[in-house]
Amino acid sequence: MDNTNGDGVERQVQVKFVTKLPPALRVVSSAFAIPAKLGRYGLSEVVNTLLGLEKPQPFDFLIDGELLRSSIEQFLLTKGITAETTLTIEYIPVVLPPEPQQPRAHDEWVSAVSGFNTRFIITGSYDNHGRIWNASGECVFLLHGHTDAVTSLAPIPAPRSSAKKLQLVTASKDHTLRFWQVALNEATSSTTTLKPVKRLKGHTSSVQSVAASPSGSEVCSGSWDTSIKLWSVRDDPDGEDDLGGKKRRLETGAVASAEKQVEARATLQGHTQVVGALDWSERDTIYSASWDHSLRTWDVESAVNTNILTCSKALHCLSVGGEGNSLLAAGGTDRILRIWDPRIPGTVAPVQQLSSHKGWISACKWHPKSAFHLLSASYDGTVKLWDTRAIIPLVTLSQHKDKVLSADWWKDDHIVSGGADSQLQIYSKLNLPF
Amino acid sequence: MAKLVPKRKLRSQGPPSPIVKENAVPEDEGSIPEVILAADESDSDPEISTDGEESGEDDDGESMDDKEEDGEELGSDDEEDGDSQGSEYSSGDEGDESSGDDEAIDEEARNYVLDVMKDYLGSAGPRDVEEAVEHEDQGNGAGEANGQSGNPTTAEESDSSEDEVPDRNTIGDVPLEWYKNEDHIGYTKDGLKINKQAKRDQLDTFLSRTDDPNEWMKVYDEYNDEEVELTKDEINMIRRLRQGKIPHADVNPYEPYVDWFEYEDKGHPLSSAPEPKRRFIPSKWEAKKVVKLVRAIRKGWIKLDKPKEKSEFYLMWGDDLKTSDKGANGLAYIPAPKPKLPGHEESYNPPIEYIPTAEEIKSYDAMYEEDRPKFIPKSFPSLRQVPAYPNYIKEIFERCLDLYLCPRQKKDRKVFDPEMLIPKLPKPKDLQPYPSMCYMEYRGHGAAVTSMSVDSSGEWLATGSLDGTVRLWDVQSGRCRKAWDFGVKVNHVQWNPNPQINILGVAVDKDVVLLPTELGGEEVTGNVAALLALKNQDVSEKDPESSPLATWSMDSKFKSLKLRQPFVVQSLAWHHKGDYFATVAPDGNTKSVLVHQLTKQMSQNPFRKHHGRVVQVLFHPQRPFLFVATKMHVRVYNLAKQQLSKKLMTGLNEISSMAIHSGGDNLILGSQESKMVWFDMDLSTKPYKAFKNHTKDIRAVAFHKTYPLFASCSDDGTTSVFHGMVYSDLLQNPLLVPLKILTGHETVNHKGVMDCLFHPKQPWLFTSGADSLVRLYCN
Repeated sequence: MDNTNGDGVERQVQVKFVTKLPPALRVVSSAFAIPAKLGRYGLSEVVNTLLGLEKPQPFDFLIDGELLRSSIEQFLLTKGITAETTLTIEYIPVVLPPEPQQPRAHDEWVSAVSGFNTRFIITGSYDNHGRIWNASGECVFLLHGHTDAVTSLAPIPAPRSSAKKLQLVTASKDHTLRFWQVALNEATSSTTTLKPVKRLKGHTSSVQSVAASPSGSEVCSGSWDTSIKLWSVRDDPDGEDDLGGKKRRLETGAVASAEKQVEARATLQGHTQVVGALDWSERDTIYSASWDHSLRTWDVESAVNTNILTCSKALHCLSVGGEGNSLLAAGGTDRILRIWDPRIPGTVAPVQQLSSHKGWISACKWHPKSAFHLLSASYDGTVKLWDTRAIIPLVTLSQHKDKVLSADWWKDDHIVSGGADSQLQIYSKLNLPF
Repeated sequence: MAKLVPKRKLRSQGPPSPIVKENAVPEDEGSIPEVILAADESDSDPEISTDGEESGEDDDGESMDDKEEDGEELGSDDEEDGDSQGSEYSSGDEGDESSGDDEAIDEEARNYVLDVMKDYLGSAGPRDVEEAVEHEDQGNGAGEANGQSGNPTTAEESDSSEDEVPDRNTIGDVPLEWYKNEDHIGYTKDGLKINKQAKRDQLDTFLSRTDDPNEWMKVYDEYNDEEVELTKDEINMIRRLRQGKIPHADVNPYEPYVDWFEYEDKGHPLSSAPEPKRRFIPSKWEAKKVVKLVRAIRKGWIKLDKPKEKSEFYLMWGDDLKTSDKGANGLAYIPAPKPKLPGHEESYNPPIEYIPTAEEIKSYDAMYEEDRPKFIPKSFPSLRQVPAYPNYIKEIFERCLDLYLCPRQKKDRKVFDPEMLIPKLPKPKDLQPYPSMCYMEYRGHGAAVTSMSVDSSGEWLATGSLDGTVRLWDVQSGRCRKAWDFGVKVNHVQWNPNPQINILGVAVDKDVVLLPTELGGEEVTGNVAALLALKNQDVSEKDPESSPLATWSMDSKFKSLKLRQPFVVQSLAWHHKGDYFATVAPDGNTKSVLVHQLTKQMSQNPFRKHHGRVVQVLFHPQRPFLFVATKMHVRVYNLAKQQLSKKLMTGLNEISSMAIHSGGDNLILGSQESKMVWFDMDLSTKPYKAFKNHTKDIRAVAFHKTYPLFASCSDDGTTSVFHGMVYSDLLQNPLLVPLKILTGHETVNHKGVMDCLFHPKQPWLFTSGADSLVRLYCN
């Protein structure tokens, strides 16, 4: 079975197909000899033939935990796997490109988007406003209060208020953060303007990033003044009164006086440049990515920097998730999305570098449930969906006509993204296997 | 008995020394010498015998050496020795007379003793040498015993071997043969004859030898006609002499050297006598000798160089291939190429393997003419049948051509590897980070962007354009946050370096506008507003005749402060503290450079005169210096002392831009003749290095604040990025490495990149072009 056997003879490999799909989609677990030159498409045809499906279904194939993206022959060659033994190939349904929905137009660039809440999408924009959109594509709330562009927003996880009340914090270039409480039970179709409940003031420069703690009692924010500040946002009983969204009639100053001013609880100093992104998905740990080319880990209790990972580029975005909920994905002023595994002792270099974008990476987000999927948004106008088991992206979404500034998952099978074309794009019906 | 014959001979030949073998030639055989008797006695009493022998020995060996002795010792010896002889001798004339030959004689005498001893030991008959030695050892032991047993004098005498028992005979140093026929051998001190003793016959000798174990130690003294017995010490001495050692055992030949003369620290020679005159006069003798030699050489009597013999055999063809010898003209001689010598194939009847077959001959036709063999071997039965060689003339002609065309001179051409001439520089790859790729474009201006400035945090970028607007950009997102429309082309924008006063200085036409950017918080905005409020309104109105340098006024449109000057302001530069700023209006002649103070809202003209048209001014990043660039020179003024500190000889004709390193000691200049020069002001006032990296005018040059980077941009549409490492070590020159040429801007109206600027914190470069774009290049 060598190449020397002649041109006419095809190389064959022994394969065995396994899957975790329902029994209807399972093939017999005996070994087959198939031509080695087959790629994903060929294998998919083979499996379809074996299953005898009426409507062909595309499959993706995993060999040794890696997605097949070339012919089997080439794969074995690059991995140095012998072709003599029987190869076990797992097949999973292919992730098909999601369907783009009607974009939601904003007045200005959409700088932040969050799909945290399953019923609503929250966006922040350069027109100083935050917006809350319902599933049918209507802007139900307008968050008015910032005097400069909203750069980042963080919904606060609060189990008891998940149904009725939504709390969130927005960061802005006006050096402040605002805390909002939204009562979601108003099923109005018209836009309601809300004013902030609290003003988190303390940064001396634009606030670039914000993240809420898993418990929902605190938020942290990173700023151009290079500090990270911790704020307590535990809702007070009297805060309930402000619910309901009274129409804004007053001047900006008047609003500011009406809202409650909050001082920072603690300040984490260590970064030397703007803190571009924060992640607070673990209870005691804050991860921060900065333009000073470092990724830092902070212990919340002691407010101490416990670990520093360095990169050669300024970092814009950060997401913790993936396998074991502990992989750090970060992107920045570069085309490469890097993934670190801080569990490896003495880790310095990223374990994986995903390179497909053509511009700065503005956002990255691990899928909340899948260990392998993450999405990234870039200034090249695309949002890419990655499977970490493959080095090329699964799906590239290029509905935006300008820089994509933010992207997030919504309802596990939707992707929402906002960009410099002032649009909020929503992609639905994503069939992620997890 | 035959053994003794040669001994006698020896004895007869010997000098008239007193040393004679004991049993030699006693004429009178019957007489027995006294000493022998004494020796016999010594068997029974070694002490006495030793003494006696000693005295006798002394007589023998050392009588000639020393005649002057201590009286005391002599006396003591005498007493012991015996009555008759002891007092006979007194130190006298004889010794003195004989002293001249003392040493030679002594030496000879010693030899004789040695010989005798040897012979004796050799002829000892039944006893061989070992026994003899053993015997001696015993004797030694006895001697030692003697020494110990109470004869301290022995040791002393052996030390001062000079003291002697005087000779019994007084004849002096005369040949003994004179007395050969006499009955006596000489006279005593008192003038009495000493009669010859009777000779012992051989039987006696034998008997005495067998009887007396010490017989072998006895020596016959012919002078005194007596036998003396040698002491153990003397025998030891002889033995030592025979072994070539020093006679006395207790003499250490290797005693440490004692330097008796001091020579260290002595400045003078031993003799301080003046140099004799002859040392300064040429020697006549030498002159004569030289003349003699010269004459001999001239006449050919002395041949200096013998002509070298030529080797009979030499390499006949040896010089054929030599080309290295240089001729008189310094050129190597190259001999003409040799024609090929005929081989077997040219033979009239070559071996069969040389003759080509018919097929081979046929194959020759298919070859190119040049490749064909010149000569095809052919066989002839005899030499007579060989025809004339048809190619003879042709070959001769070709040979002539070869000779004619062959090179006759060898010229050394220096081979330069062009790679070698390039200085060794580190690879750009190793000097990362540096801007290399355009990641962002800031779009919005409608005309060429002339000037840029980034605020100190690196968040905001301000640009001024020919479309009359100043725009404020968010660096990260590329969003235009704000635009101020002036309606006239904007020449220059510059952020105030103080982060607390985030105002923007804009040079528009004849105005300098200080724009509040309202980026800071409320307090900062308030402070800035207060700062920009017009203060001394009345001052400007008070004396209009004095024609103020600049008029400060408020501009309500942008809430800004405006400074009107009589001439078009081209650029402005902030002092690093943000209070002062300098403006350049090149047409202003003596008023072209003005320094303004923001807090007092005052303007002043620090210079009376400028040497040329001022292009740009810069403040030193730390110290009170002001750099003023005119068309051809850069002058450095010390603002504290108010004097010219330095003048940089740029060698450029049209300086267009200037940038200063954050350390303040290095400066780069861009010129319109597309040259960029680097000044190390610690090193010299002349350029450290010049780059000609552009094809058209250089528009701007820039230094990075923290990274070792600098850049230049030009009208040819490119921006060059350099690595410029300045070492804190003063001995090390800056390392300048070209890194990257950034392209991307289009050329519009022969204008390319108008300005370049580094991000204050990241290794990024902003470039603004005539194509109204601003680009950001990142690492």
